[in-house]
Amino acid sequence: MIAMVEDALLAAIAVSCWIGCIGMLRMRDPNQALHYLSFPAAVAAVLLPFAFLCLSGWSLATLKATLIALFLLASNAVVTHATARAFRVRAIGHWEPRKGDAVEFVREKRPQ
Amino acid sequence: MNGWLMAAYAVGACLAPCAFVCLHGRPEWRLVGFEMSGAIVAVLLSLLVGGTSRLVFMDLPLTLAILNLGGGLVFARFLEKHL
Repeated sequence: MIAMVEDALLAAIAVSCWIGCIGMLRMRDPNQALHYLSFPAAVAAVLLPFAFLCLSGWSLATLKATLIALFLLASNAVVTHATARAFRVRAIGHWEPRKGDAVEFVREKRPQ
Repeated sequence: MNGWLMAAYAVGACLAPCAFVCLHGRPEWRLVGFEMSGAIVAVLLSLLVGGTSRLVFMDLPLTLAILNLGGGLVFARFLEKHL
C-alpha cells in the first residue's frame, strides 16, 4: 500500500513538472509563462516530502525535503513578483501606476 | 531501476524545454526558462537522492533551493535596468 502511494506521488511530481514546462512553452507572453513556475516549485515540491516519508519514514531526509518545499514555496512567490516587476519596469520605465499608463484589462460594457 | 529513478528521468527530460526557452528569444523569456530550470533541478536532485538511497546528499537540493532565490533576484534586477 505504501509503495503504491509512493509511486503515485512520484508520478504526480513528474506530471506536475511537465505541466509547468508545457504551459510555459504554450504561453504567448513571459508574464503569462511566469504563472507556470508554480507547478514545479509549489506542487512538486510539496509532494516531495510525502514521497520521502513513504521511503524513509520520519528521517533527516524527510526534514530536508520539507525545508526544500518551504524554501521553494517562499522563494517562488518572491522571485515571480520580482521578475514581473522587472518586466514592467523594463517595458514602461516605472513600477507605480501613473496617469496615462495603458490599461491592460478593459471591461467591456454590456450591450443595452 | 526503481520508481524514484524513473521519476528523476522524467523530470530531467523537462530540462530540454527549459533549455530551449533559455537559448531562444528575448531576455524576458530566457529569465523565465532559467527560473523554471532552477525549480526543476531542485526537485530532480531530490529524486536522484531518493533513487540512489544516498540520503546524506539531500544537502545539495536544499542548498540549490536556497541559492535559487538569490540567483533569480539578481537576474531580475539586472534585467530591469542593465540588460
